[in-house]
Amino acid sequence: MMNLAWVVPLFPLGSFILLLLFGRRWKQRSAYVGIAAAFLSLLLALAVLVDRLGGSTYEANWTWMTIGGVTLTVGISATALNAWMLVVVALVSWLVHVYSQGYMAGDERFSTFYAYLGLFTFAMLGLVLSPNLLQAYIFWELVGLGSFLLIGFYFYKEEAKAAAKKAFIMTRIGDVGFFIGMMLLFWQTHSFDYDDIFRAVGDGTLSPGMTTLAVILIFIGAIGKSGQFPLHTWLPDAMEGPTPVSALIHAATMVAAGVYLVAALFPLYEASHAAMMTVATIGGVTAIFAATIGLVQTDIKRVLAYSTISQLGYMMLALGAGSYVAAIFHLTTHAFFKALLFLAAGSVIHAVRTQNIEEMGGLWRRLPWTAPLFLIGALSISGVPLFAGFFSKDEILTAAWTNGPRLLFWLAVAAALLTSFYMFRLFFLVFAGKARHHEDAHDAPASMVAPMLVLGVLSIASGYMQTPWFGSFLGEWLTDGAYRHEAAPGWIAVLATIVSFAGIFLAWLMYGAQKMPRDWLSARVPYVDELLRRHYYIDDIYRLTVVSLVSWISRLLTYVDRFLVEGLARLAAGIVGAAASAGSRGQNGQAQTYGAVTVAGLAILVVIFALTGGYWL
Amino acid sequence: MMFLSLLVFSPLLGIVLLMFVRKTDERMIQWLGTAATVPPLILALFAFIQSGRGFRLERLDEARDWVRLTDLPFLTDAAYVIRYELGIDGLSLVFIVLTAVLATLAALASMLVKTEKKGYFLWLLALEIGMLGVFSAANFVWFFLFLEVTLVAMFLLVGKWGGFERERAAYSYLLYNGLGSALLLVVIAVLLARTGTANFALLHEMLHNPAAEGQLIAPLTEEGRRWLLGGLLLAFAVKLPAVPFHRWIIRVHVEAPPPVVMLHAGVLLKIAAYGMIRFGVGLFPDEFRSFAGVLALFGVINVLYGALLALRQRELKRVLAYSSVSHMGVVLIGLGALNEAGIQGAVLQSVAHGLISALSFLLVGVLAHRMGTTDINRLGGLTKAMPLFSGYLLTAALALLGLPGLAGFVGEFTSFLGLFQTKPALAAVGALGLIFAAVYSLKAVLDITFGRPRDRREAVVSSREPQASAASLGEPQGGVVDLQGKEAVPAFILVALIVAVGVYPQLLAAPLTAVVKTMMNGLGG
Amino acid sequence: MTLSAYLALALILFCIGLYGALTKRNTVIVLICIELMLNAANINFVAFAKYGAHPSVHGHVFALFAIAVAAAEAAVGLAALIAFYRSRKTVQVDEANSLKH
Repeated sequence: MMNLAWVVPLFPLGSFILLLLFGRRWKQRSAYVGIAAAFLSLLLALAVLVDRLGGSTYEANWTWMTIGGVTLTVGISATALNAWMLVVVALVSWLVHVYSQGYMAGDERFSTFYAYLGLFTFAMLGLVLSPNLLQAYIFWELVGLGSFLLIGFYFYKEEAKAAAKKAFIMTRIGDVGFFIGMMLLFWQTHSFDYDDIFRAVGDGTLSPGMTTLAVILIFIGAIGKSGQFPLHTWLPDAMEGPTPVSALIHAATMVAAGVYLVAALFPLYEASHAAMMTVATIGGVTAIFAATIGLVQTDIKRVLAYSTISQLGYMMLALGAGSYVAAIFHLTTHAFFKALLFLAAGSVIHAVRTQNIEEMGGLWRRLPWTAPLFLIGALSISGVPLFAGFFSKDEILTAAWTNGPRLLFWLAVAAALLTSFYMFRLFFLVFAGKARHHEDAHDAPASMVAPMLVLGVLSIASGYMQTPWFGSFLGEWLTDGAYRHEAAPGWIAVLATIVSFAGIFLAWLMYGAQKMPRDWLSARVPYVDELLRRHYYIDDIYRLTVVSLVSWISRLLTYVDRFLVEGLARLAAGIVGAAASAGSRGQNGQAQTYGAVTVAGLAILVVIFALTGGYWL
Repeated sequence: MMFLSLLVFSPLLGIVLLMFVRKTDERMIQWLGTAATVPPLILALFAFIQSGRGFRLERLDEARDWVRLTDLPFLTDAAYVIRYELGIDGLSLVFIVLTAVLATLAALASMLVKTEKKGYFLWLLALEIGMLGVFSAANFVWFFLFLEVTLVAMFLLVGKWGGFERERAAYSYLLYNGLGSALLLVVIAVLLARTGTANFALLHEMLHNPAAEGQLIAPLTEEGRRWLLGGLLLAFAVKLPAVPFHRWIIRVHVEAPPPVVMLHAGVLLKIAAYGMIRFGVGLFPDEFRSFAGVLALFGVINVLYGALLALRQRELKRVLAYSSVSHMGVVLIGLGALNEAGIQGAVLQSVAHGLISALSFLLVGVLAHRMGTTDINRLGGLTKAMPLFSGYLLTAALALLGLPGLAGFVGEFTSFLGLFQTKPALAAVGALGLIFAAVYSLKAVLDITFGRPRDRREAVVSSREPQASAASLGEPQGGVVDLQGKEAVPAFILVALIVAVGVYPQLLAAPLTAVVKTMMNGLGG
Repeated sequence: MTLSAYLALALILFCIGLYGALTKRNTVIVLICIELMLNAANINFVAFAKYGAHPSVHGHVFALFAIAVAAAEAAVGLAALIAFYRSRKTVQVDEANSLKH
């Protein structure tokens, strides 16, 4: 079945094209087209995975363009990582397709929504099948397009417009890094193919300095896409999109593309210690940085957005610490529990028509399905034992302890504490406490609950692929058996457990039992509180530096253009005009003047001739 | 075989027939004018398909005696012969197909032109003859003659059917391009005087074959060749346009009727790219090396300068005009790279930008017709009223910013790929243009299509540049109606072409491969 | 040496003639100056015919031709001048500008 892997992305593409052409006629029935396409993709992706489980990598290439003697190709490559990602993406995408049928019901542009979902799914599936950097770049940008369209889905909202634009531009900044890095690698190795590049690293064609430069440039692309510090600011704003979109794109799949890219190029990164350190540092810093901001957000989706950034930081940290498996493992479990959390949040928003958590409360009874599912997600992300997040986070902490700098390990532990705190702050504020005027709030329809149930199961079960107790299936398969489980000090798991319970307890104290005043922090260190609420002023810093610099240069150039360039042109025209009027003044009807001019002209020609001998070219 | 003559001059039939149509019969004029652009389209596509199947394009060469200066007493054994010669290769063919396609689409889009339709179509067809001729000429003199035909036709089209400041725009078009042409004429004259021929192939032979050196009427020194190439590049730099010769293009983009801009931005600017490749790289490959660095530098300047200025414009046509400057910079970048990827990239970028700017200006025409303005400050939230139009406009913006899967990416990618081989640091600076491109195109298009619908009478005059506020602020003529069937057809065709080139660039790369290879042999690389 | 002397004389004559032809306002003087220039050329012809690299009779013949043509030219010129004087009552060169506009 692996030779059919290229068909997997085509189903959603077909759905995109069909819905674009006929969507308006089909209206609400469009959902079935989208769901069916996503389901077919999932089935085929599963078949590919099953095939790959027992086989080896399959690769196929087709000519895309020839440049002189070089042929650039596109193709598919079913490596273990790719096959795995294919299933994760197809699965989450399909669940979101199903969920959206309920969530988006009644929207005027219902079919457009499904069309865009199809486009995004196509791009994402194409990305994870890429055998070379060029194709990865192409789909990388298309994924950004899907994200852009879906963030701007409510086009009439100014915030959505700004958010869509920001998302595209911020990720483009990263993409340019990717672009440059890719080009540099091409001229060093004369190929975009991963295999050729890895070979070049192996046999030393690629100098260490160039490797470091190129992979760090490519990593900038990953920073942009995965919302890592300092290019993360678009991700919280991207929450302007419909919630299923946040679940699919800005939690489970697209933002993980950066992690995927680094993982796909892992042999290249491993060749450069500096690059690995960069990845680990950015990851660790992002993890703690975003978690602190998550503490004070009041928008339910933004809390989840910052938590996504923070979790992606974990994955980067894992990659930087050399644990490819831990990163992919956490990517997978995160995809499930974060998608679950977002879908549950969507269900909450659907019920109470607000996103502000301070206006919610006591929804536990009113949302009998959503609430427990949200709790599962929260427990999983907090790293409570027996849930999926516990295992994957434990894996990352182990990697950070054994390979990474100590500081990053402790940052990761602190981030874990904060994670469980803000997740349960969210949980208690929304579901516990006194019920507020949401008498009409009722739980979501079955089409929304069913996908959440599936994700709920996966949020627990997916952890058991890779545990210290039952064996590391995922790791052994991903690395073709080369995986060796790090003998982790037992205290790390204990520490992680303690930390996660501590966070939950603290949140319970403050928001559940209300034994501690909520303004405990803001009363003591108001400026820290303010700093967090303003997201460390990152947006303002950008506005005051980069944005104003560019606009200042642009303004300067406008004046240059209007006065200097135009002025020079006018000057040239003026000189010609002046010469013309001088000439026409010579045209005075006096034969003697003409005679004088003729003599002067003759003299000049004679001089030129005498000097050059007749040839001046 | 008269295939090429037939291809080039077939719009003449339309001109003749149009003469007999009454001025007031606008439907007939529109129909006939559009129909007249179809024969060259069919012939061009036929040639394209045949060459794809292995037909040798040299078999289409034509030659007739035209002017023969052999019997003059001061010429002993040499002869000045100027022949009527047409001939194409893969490079010309790509541009001919582009011309034929865009001419038909521009004729279709001309339905929004209402005044003096007969004269308009007469000149539009003349313009098409000129453009087809430029790309089919196998002879410098005829290249120049056809080039001048386009100059006159464009001048009249801008000057008579343009916006408020049309005459000023037409004159600045004429001045800049006239200067470029004059310079070109000098180069042609010197070459003709020294070699006795204007035929490209013969010239190439004479300039490069040491054995043929003796046949030169007068010697051409290394220094002289460099001057000739410099003149040639300068002439085409004005026509491209390269910063700082770009001011005319802004006026023409803003003032000319949108269907004419489709051809202007779509084809006429590409003549310069074509000329640089054909004559610059083709005739003076060795000397070209010494100019490559300068070209690349100017390319990067063009890219950044155009993009940064486009950021601040609040008039859609001006945004697009500066984006044209920026995109032409990519062509220069490709040429400056002077390797296979670079040259191919320059051609691909030319074609891609031709298609994309044609699409943009088709939509600009519709927008101006519906809303009576293209001032971004007065527009907003159009997606609600005109979803189809907005979709196309967004597609155009995405193509402009070089989204992979659309044509723009292929051109930019290939050109930059070339420059990254020879001058990686410069290329990296130029790549910043990709970010700015995203900013300006999204800013302009999202402000028009997204957000709240703006009352166009609010008249937010923020743009202080005088030309901007003057931009065709008429009454809306059609009311706010979405793209209609007749307008949607050319838009759809253009999008289909843009996607086709973007998804499978081999379509265009295939006919180019042989030409690029020949040129690289000339470069000795 | 002798040739240079003749040529120098011709040069001086020519320059005087040129100067006069370009600056004097009276048409009669301009005509006389033109005669001076013609005669400077005649001197050159004769000098080269006698002392040049290939002495021959051609130069003399040319000089005779020039003298004859100059006489005819002077006659036509003076006739035109008289006609002009009759219509405009002046012989100043700078007033002969009715074709200017």
